[in-house]
Amino acid sequence: MILEGYGVKLHRLTEDKIELLRRWRNDPKIQQYMGYREHITAEMQKAWFKKIDNEHNFYFIIEYDGKEIGCINIKDVDYEKKTGEPGIFIWDDDYLNTDVPMRASFCQFDFIWDTLKLESLHIHVLKSNTRALRHNAFWGYEILPGQDDIELQEYILTKEDMLKNIKRTDRLKNILLKIA
Amino acid sequence: MKSLEEFVALFAEQFDETDASEITATTVFHDLDEYSSLIALSIIAMVDEEFDVQLKGDDMRGAVTVEDLYETVKKKLA
Repeated sequence: MILEGYGVKLHRLTEDKIELLRRWRNDPKIQQYMGYREHITAEMQKAWFKKIDNEHNFYFIIEYDGKEIGCINIKDVDYEKKTGEPGIFIWDDDYLNTDVPMRASFCQFDFIWDTLKLESLHIHVLKSNTRALRHNAFWGYEILPGQDDIELQEYILTKEDMLKNIKRTDRLKNILLKIA
Repeated sequence: MKSLEEFVALFAEQFDETDASEITATTVFHDLDEYSSLIALSIIAMVDEEFDVQLKGDDMRGAVTVEDLYETVKKKLA
């Protein structure tokens, strides 16, 4: 499966790419932002892939300009509750803080709302990850109550809340469609 | 064509938390704490809206200061 839009291609994770993903994921520059921060072995990665290679988890390698630059995903999709947990990391430093992560996010949001037909998203973010917190606030994520003392905090975004913010998101979506 | 001062003010408006007084023509904008993919795209959108110029990711990466970016926009308009 390949999702394409906004100038990026999202390639669904296949077994031949799990070692590449493991190498990225074990690098301290990526690992520091993850809830699970222990070293991942090749065996652990294989077992993980077996567990997630199904219709409840969609991991994609982000391709931009012919290069594999990072990973974006929606995991733990619950079709009854119409919810799931998205995530993204950019491996290639050349594309950090560029328009490319936004391209991948818009592409995955189309898949989440239009194809999977989910209605809400949950994320867990380290309290210290201010960059991710700002990014998520833009989309309209709101923190669940009673989590002031928790390091890994849970946020929720409903499709309805995102639509309330549509003027702001469409401004950026439209420029990407124009320059893609 | 808007002046450099006007460009700097429009550039600063794309930030939510960074005080506008922290952003000048010589600011190395990639080093700003709030600078992110979201801000980068907001700046691209602002340049499209205000100057009818479509910046690419490479243009953003290639500019070091706010003035560098202004010069890039000027070149594209020429």
